[in-house]
Amino acid sequence: MSFLSISNVSKIFGGVVAVEDFNLEIEKGEFVSFLGPSGCGKTTTLRMVAGFELPTSGEVVLDGENITYKSPNQRNVGMVFQSYALFPNMTVAQNIGFGLQVRKTPAEEIRKTVDEMLGLIHLEKHAEKYPFQLSGGQQQRVALARALAINPRVLLLDEPLSALDAKIRVELRQEIRRIQQTMGITTIYVTHDQEEALSLSDRIVVMSQGHMEQVGTPSEIYNHPTTEFVASFVGQLNLLPVTEVNVQNGTCKLNGQLVRFDHSEQSEQRQISAKPRLAIRPEEFQFGQAEARNVVLGRVEVVMFLGAVVRLRVRIGEALVSVDLFNERTMILPRVGDDVTVNFPAHACWIM
Amino acid sequence: MSSNSFSKPVDTKRDAPKARPALSGWRDWLGVAPFFLFVFLFIVLPSFRLLIGSFQDVDGNFTLKNFADLMDPSILGAYWVTIRISLATAFGGGLLGFLMAYAVTVGGLPRWVRSALLTFSGVASNFAGVPLAFAFITTLGRVGMVTVFLKLIGVDLYDKGFSLYSFWGLSLTYMYFQFPLMVLTITPALDGLRREWREAAENLGATPFEYWVKVALPILTPSILGTMILLFGNAFGAYATALSLTGGFINLITILIGSQIKGDVLHNVGLGYALAFGMVVVMGVMMTLYYFLRRRSERWLKQ
Repeated sequence: MSFLSISNVSKIFGGVVAVEDFNLEIEKGEFVSFLGPSGCGKTTTLRMVAGFELPTSGEVVLDGENITYKSPNQRNVGMVFQSYALFPNMTVAQNIGFGLQVRKTPAEEIRKTVDEMLGLIHLEKHAEKYPFQLSGGQQQRVALARALAINPRVLLLDEPLSALDAKIRVELRQEIRRIQQTMGITTIYVTHDQEEALSLSDRIVVMSQGHMEQVGTPSEIYNHPTTEFVASFVGQLNLLPVTEVNVQNGTCKLNGQLVRFDHSEQSEQRQISAKPRLAIRPEEFQFGQAEARNVVLGRVEVVMFLGAVVRLRVRIGEALVSVDLFNERTMILPRVGDDVTVNFPAHACWIM
Repeated sequence: MSSNSFSKPVDTKRDAPKARPALSGWRDWLGVAPFFLFVFLFIVLPSFRLLIGSFQDVDGNFTLKNFADLMDPSILGAYWVTIRISLATAFGGGLLGFLMAYAVTVGGLPRWVRSALLTFSGVASNFAGVPLAFAFITTLGRVGMVTVFLKLIGVDLYDKGFSLYSFWGLSLTYMYFQFPLMVLTITPALDGLRREWREAAENLGATPFEYWVKVALPILTPSILGTMILLFGNAFGAYATALSLTGGFINLITILIGSQIKGDVLHNVGLGYALAFGMVVVMGVMMTLYYFLRRRSERWLKQ
């Protein structure tokens, strides 16, 4: 049996379904992200695990114990909030030691744990500071240490980095992963940032409108999305209208040109819509002729140099396609208005 | 030779708009001129007059007798009663107001209850003097509506020792404007308590009681202290309500000042000024105490 089991959980707020039939099994030590746009139910689900919301139906079982109706202070799960939620009237050390203090832990043990936690988050010199004297990143580290100090069975992080600037976000997410792996703590991470979810998680749950769209490893989610929502929400996706789709052979016509696509997963997982479209990621394209690859003609409409990546918009028939190329020093960039030949492998595209 | 790819830092000082000087134009000062004018005319000048007058006898000669007279047992008694009634109504009104504000903010009562309470508080906190005294006399006086009704159902308030014209009767009347003032001033502070603090505390294992004792109340302490001093001052300076209700039966310091300044029997303006100066001293002590308590309780606030 899994360490944390969320079974058939639904939550309805005054007639509005926030979460519907959520099922997830999480193994001990696993890092799982709930990824989705605002209002998709990811935070509500997290709050049901924390005990701040009661499910309308379903149950949450942690380490063999049904905690569905247990109050938050009896669950021993740690939570990190988006807004840090540090107690402003307490120093960093007092904040970290708060959970142990209310558990009536001996003072010496509290001091030892607080020192350990301060070392873990590299804020040893800030123990006596108040939250207002720390930067956003430092405050979030303290919030993380405070949640970990009680040695929780599960760590819950509710968009912990969204209030921070981009550089700090990247640093801190590496820090979170390092600490999570060091402590081997089972973690649920809520985010709407796909890059965060992809870079941190063992598994990702993509959610939309209260439903689980797909559960899988970052690679599965990115490379083998099972729904159009997942495909378009995680990473960029080109959707090109096609005709004469033959699923058995894996062929279709794109702007009158024959194109092959990956049809191995087509029948099992993906449904083809009434207006079939060929799905392909921008980074799968290359310029020029190539054998054993799909080759189509187009015209360059936009060229954006982004440093490591060059992003182009190429018109292929009626569709405007995003093409990402890795920058090379010797690369000669096409110009706007150039007619170009682009190629892409059959295994990198599928029909939706 | 390739050119240096690192450009010189932009001279932001040159490009940035000039900062406004600390003392900007006279127009800005004109906006606050009425405030300073009021402070000067109705606080500074009267205080100055009060200070001078308290050192003068009825003929305008210098004397210390007015201050010596403050040691008279009846005057000391008046100070003590006024302080007691101010403390009682500050704490009583403060507690009642806090609980009511809590109920409509953190407590999760319907939104309309909050609106109703705040509207009532806005009116009631300014309802004092003769109308308030009259309202209480007609409800809780000897033949007041509530008194008579309670008598009909077998509860005789006055037989049981209650009197509207006593210390506690006057305190009850003061509570009518004290607790709404507490509601008005503490509600924004309670609104400022972030839900995440309570959730974080609960998540870390704290009971609701522990959250209030260790987190919420320490955060609210500066606001509570500030409001309590406001309530104390509000009651300490009350005059018309007490005079209308008790007719001087309770020896409050404000009533004493009134009778010294405009009274026919006890007319001694100098003593009246000295009594008022004594009130300033009492408020000064309270403010100093408040200042130190507040500094202690808000050391975690951004300076």
